[in-house]
Amino acid sequence: MFSKTKKKRDFHHLSPGWNFIFHAVALFFAVLCVFPFLFVVIISFTDEKTLATNGYRIFPAKWSLEAYRYVFQTGDMLLKSYGVTILVTVAGTLLSLVMISLYAYAVSRKSFAYRRFFSLFAIFTMLFNGGMIPTYIIVTQVLGLKDSLWALIWPLAMNAFYVMILRTFYMTSVPDAIIESGKIDGAGEFKIFYRLVLPLSLPGLATIGLFSTLGYWNDWFNALLYIDDPDKVPLQSMLMRIESSMAFIQQNLANSSISLEVLQNMPQDTARMAMVVLATVPIIFAYPFFQRYFVQGLTVGSVKE
Amino acid sequence: MAGSFFRNLIRNRAMLLMVLPGAVWFLFFSYMPLIGTIAAFKEYRFSRQGFWYSLTHSKNVGWDNFKYLFNTDAAYTITRNTLLYNIAFIFLGLVFSVALAIILSEIVNKRMAKLYQTGMFLPYFLSWVIVGYFAFSFLSMDRGLLNHTLESFGIDSIQWYNEPKYWPFILIFVSLWKSAGYNSVVYLASIMGIDKSLYEAAMIDGANKWQQIRNITLPLLKPIIIIMTLLAVGRIFYADFGLFYNVPRDSGTLYSVTNVIDTYVYRGLKTTGEIGMSTAAGLYQSVVGFVLVLVSNFIVRKIDKDSALF
Amino acid sequence: MGKSKKSFGLLSAALLAFSLVLGGCGGGNGNGNAADSGGGSEKPVELIWYTIGTPQKDVDTVMEKVSEYTKEKINATVKMKMIDWGDYQQKMQVLVASGEPMDIIFTSAGGFDYVQNARKGAFLQIDDLLQKYGKGIIDTIDPAFLSGSKVDGHNYGIPANKELPQQDVWRFNKNLLDKYNLDISNVRSLESLEPLLKTIKEKEPNVTPFGLDKNHVPTVPYDFLITNMPMAVKLDTTDYKVVNILETDEMKKALRTMHKYYKAGYISPEAATVGSTNDLTKSGNWLVDRAQTQPLAENLWAAAYGYPVVSTPASDPIITNASVQGSIMAISANSEHPEKAMEFLNLLNTDPVLRNMVDSGIEGVHYEKIGENRIRNLEAAKNYDMPSYSLGNNMILYLNENDPDDKWEQFKAFNAKGVPSPILGFNFDSTKVATEMAAIQNVKEQYWSSLMTGTVDPDEYLPIAIEKFKAAGLDKVIAEAQAQLDAWVAENKK
Repeated sequence: MFSKTKKKRDFHHLSPGWNFIFHAVALFFAVLCVFPFLFVVIISFTDEKTLATNGYRIFPAKWSLEAYRYVFQTGDMLLKSYGVTILVTVAGTLLSLVMISLYAYAVSRKSFAYRRFFSLFAIFTMLFNGGMIPTYIIVTQVLGLKDSLWALIWPLAMNAFYVMILRTFYMTSVPDAIIESGKIDGAGEFKIFYRLVLPLSLPGLATIGLFSTLGYWNDWFNALLYIDDPDKVPLQSMLMRIESSMAFIQQNLANSSISLEVLQNMPQDTARMAMVVLATVPIIFAYPFFQRYFVQGLTVGSVKE
Repeated sequence: MAGSFFRNLIRNRAMLLMVLPGAVWFLFFSYMPLIGTIAAFKEYRFSRQGFWYSLTHSKNVGWDNFKYLFNTDAAYTITRNTLLYNIAFIFLGLVFSVALAIILSEIVNKRMAKLYQTGMFLPYFLSWVIVGYFAFSFLSMDRGLLNHTLESFGIDSIQWYNEPKYWPFILIFVSLWKSAGYNSVVYLASIMGIDKSLYEAAMIDGANKWQQIRNITLPLLKPIIIIMTLLAVGRIFYADFGLFYNVPRDSGTLYSVTNVIDTYVYRGLKTTGEIGMSTAAGLYQSVVGFVLVLVSNFIVRKIDKDSALF
Repeated sequence: MGKSKKSFGLLSAALLAFSLVLGGCGGGNGNGNAADSGGGSEKPVELIWYTIGTPQKDVDTVMEKVSEYTKEKINATVKMKMIDWGDYQQKMQVLVASGEPMDIIFTSAGGFDYVQNARKGAFLQIDDLLQKYGKGIIDTIDPAFLSGSKVDGHNYGIPANKELPQQDVWRFNKNLLDKYNLDISNVRSLESLEPLLKTIKEKEPNVTPFGLDKNHVPTVPYDFLITNMPMAVKLDTTDYKVVNILETDEMKKALRTMHKYYKAGYISPEAATVGSTNDLTKSGNWLVDRAQTQPLAENLWAAAYGYPVVSTPASDPIITNASVQGSIMAISANSEHPEKAMEFLNLLNTDPVLRNMVDSGIEGVHYEKIGENRIRNLEAAKNYDMPSYSLGNNMILYLNENDPDDKWEQFKAFNAKGVPSPILGFNFDSTKVATEMAAIQNVKEQYWSSLMTGTVDPDEYLPIAIEKFKAAGLDKVIAEAQAQLDAWVAENKK
C-alpha cells in the first residue's frame, strides 16, 4: 500500500531512491517481454500483402481484419477447441494439484520411512524417458485412452519437477511444531495435511497450480498423438499443426503440385499471428488469478519455538 | 525380516496412501515405457506382430547406435556447446530470476509489481518459431532493426546470421528473456512465504533493507535454490531444441556455436530415420544427467543433509 | 539404518515385480487386431486407408458413398483417415510402430519416406499381388512408375499416375519481362541469365533479381543417390561411377557463377537461411527463380500468385527416383486383407467413377458435371478439398472448368519425353554406414546452403567442405554406395 506522507514511510519499505531503481529495472524488463507480444498483435492486424513487401513493421502500411475473419470463418471449430482446452486445463489442474500435493507432502515428512525411495522414484522419471512409441502404446493399448479427452489430461497429471518444488515449500513453510501440535491433538495424517499444512503452503500450491495450468493450456503434443476426432482438438494443437505444415511444405517445395494446392488454403502469416493472440490472451489472466494466493499462509494460533 | 517389513508398511500406511496415486502414475507413464530403451541396442525394424515383437526380434547391434555421437569431429563441438550453454543458463538464470523475484517483492506499489510480473510471463507463451521470426526482424541483413540502428550511428551492417561470434550472447540473452519471468515465480512465491516477523525482528535490531535481504531473504531461499539447481543439473545434457534450431534459422555457418546434441541428432537422422540411433542419444543424455545428479546430490548431502534432493 | 535399507530393497523389488507384470500384460494384448478372417464371404471387408492432408469435414460422408460403390464392385468398404501435412511423418511412424491396424498407407519421398520404411518392414511386398489382382494398374499407369519405384528389386507401392519426369525451368515474372522488354529465348544455362539479372538490378532496386531459398541446388547433369546429399552419378555415365558432387567440374563452375551473382547483389543476402521464396512470389518483387514444371504449370502459378508467369527449360526432363516416388500408395505389412486392398487400388486406378468420387466428393453436393468429363466445384466443395496428387491415378480425373480439353494428353506427352536416369530404381541402403551418414548429414547442413546459394566463395570454402565431408566418412559411404550400385547394375542392366 502506498504511504501518504514521505516522512512516515514504513520502515518495511524500500527507500524511495531504490524503489525508483527497482521500478525502472522491472519496467524495462517487462517492456522487453511485452513488446514482442504487442508486435504479434500488430502483425495480426496487418494486411498480408504489405507484410510480404515490407516485412514486419511496427506501423504497418495497411491495416486489415482479414486474418481474424479467416480464423473466425472456421467458426465452430474454434469455439470447440476453446471449450476443449478450457475443460482439459481446469480438470487437469485440479487433478494435478491433488496428486502432486499428496505425493510431495508424503516425501517431505522426515517420519516417512520410504521418503528417500519415493523421492528418487520421482526424480528418476525426470531424467529417463522411454520414448514416444512406448508411451503411445501404453496410453492407447494398455490404458485404452485413444481419442479421449483423458489422453490429454492423464499424461500431464504428474510431474516430478513440481513435486520437488512443492516438497521444498512444505519443508520450509510448515514448521515441524505445527505438525507436532496436530499430532498431540490426536489428528490423523490426512487431517493434519488438510487442516494445517495446506493453508500454510498456499504460495507453493499456487505456484504449482499456475505451472500446471500453463502446461495444460500450452500442450499440443498429446493431441497430435492421441486425438483424431476434430471435435476434440485443443487450441495450441490447431496452431502447431499449421506451423508444422508450413515447415513441411517448405521442405517439399520441389513437388509443385503440393505447394500450390496447399498454399492456396494455408492461412498466411497474419492469420497465424491472429491464432497466437487468440490462444494466448485468455491465459494471461492465469497469473493474476494465482498471484493472490502468494501470501503468507495463515498461522493457526501462534506457535512458540 | 519380512515381518518387520510389513510392520513398517502398516506404520507408514497413511503416507503410502498419499504417494499411491502418483506412484501408480509414474509406473504407467514413466517406468513401463522405459522398456523402449532396448531399441538403443537394436537395429529396429517393424514387424507384423507389433512393437514388443519388433523390439525383441530386431537385430542386436550392441553399442553401434552410439558411435555417431562420439566418433566424429562434431562430437566435441556439440558436447562442449551443450554443456557450456547449460552451465551459463543455470548460473545466469538463477541470478537473474532470484534478483527479479527480490525486486518484484520489494517494490512498494504492489499493483504495479503484479502488472510487471504478468508482462514478464508473456515470452513463455511465444513458441520458438515465432521468437525466431522476431529475432529475424531484428537481425536481418537488409531489413533488420539492429542494422538500421547501426547504420544511423555510422557503423557498418553486420551479417548476423553468418557471424558465429555474436551468437553465444544472442542465444543466452534470448533464453533468459524467455524463461526469467516464469522461473522467478518460484522464488517470488518462496519469498512471499517468509515469516514477516523475522523482518520485524531484524528491523528492531537496526538492520537496513540490504542487510535484511542478505541475512534473511537469501538464506531462506537457499533450499529452493539448491533444489532448482540440482534439478537443472540433471538436464544438463539436454538442450532446448527450439532455441538452438529456430532462432539461428538453422544457418549452417553458425553451427560451431549453435549445434548442440539435440540438433545434431535431429539433423543426423533426417535421411536414415533409425529409431535405434535416436533412442541411443536419449539414453546417453539421460545417463550423463543421472550420474551428475547423483554426484552433486551426494556432495550436497555431505554439506547439509536436508537440502539434498534425496 | 540397516532395517530401512532392507525394507528399501524389498520395496523396490516389489514395485519392480509389479511393473514387470503390468508390462507383460501390456505387451501381450498389445495388438488386438479385430481379426476379420472368420465368417462367410458375404461380409464386406473394411479397408482402413491412411492418407495425408488437412482432415476435411465431409470425409466420412463421402467415404460412405464410396463404400456403397466398392461394396458392390469388390465387396469391401473404405474408411479413410486423414492426417495433417505437418503431423503425417511423426504420427504415421508412431502408428506403424505400435501395430495400429491399417491397410493402405500414403507414402512418398519425404512424407513418411517410402524407401526408408519399405526397408524397415512397414509395407508389404506386392509383386505377386500386382500380378494377381492389380492387372488393371499394370495396364493403365506408365510402366516407368512401377519399374522405377522398386526397392531392392521388389515393388512396395503403387505410384500415382501423374507427371513422371522432373524438369527444371526458369520462371519469370512476366510483368517485369514486359516492362523492360527482356528476351528469354536464349536463356538456358545459369550463365545465360546474367544480362537479365543485371538489367533488373540496375533499374529496380526493390526487386530481388534471382529468387532462391536454402534448398536450392544449381542444375547440374547429375542424379543424386539421395536428395541433397553429395553422392551423385553423371546422367550420361557409362561406368556408373559414384562421385562427390562437390568435386565435379560442373558444380564448381555453377557455384562460382552463383557466388558472382551473390556478390553483384542479384541474390538476397539471406538466401541461405530462408525456407521458401513465398514472400517474394506473394509480393511480386522478383524476376527469375527456378522451379520444377509440369504441363499447364504456368496457369497454376499465375492463378496462385495473381500475375502472369512464363517459363523456359533449364534442364531436360529426367525420370528419377525422386520424381517417381512423389506419391505412392502402399499396403501395410500388417494388413489383414492385402488381396482386397490390392483390388481396391486396382479399382481406384482404373475406374473413373471411383477415382473422381474420392477426389471431388459426391455429385450434386460437392460438384456438378458440366460436360462429359468436366466438373465445376459447388459451394460445399470446401468441405471436401482433397490433394489430388496423393489419391491415385490422376489421368482419369475429370477436368476442371478452365482446363484445356487435352490436359491429360499433354501430361502423357510430357511423360513420354522423359529420359530415365541411369540409376532409376536403385535405392542406396545406408544401414551399414549409418554412423557416417549422421555425421555427413551434419556437415551437409553446415556447408551446403551457403555454398549452393553463392553466399560464400567456393574457391575458399569448397576445399574446406570437401575436407569436412572426408573427415565425416564420405569416402566410406561412397565406397559402400559404389559396391551396391555395381551389384545392382550387374543384375539389372545386362
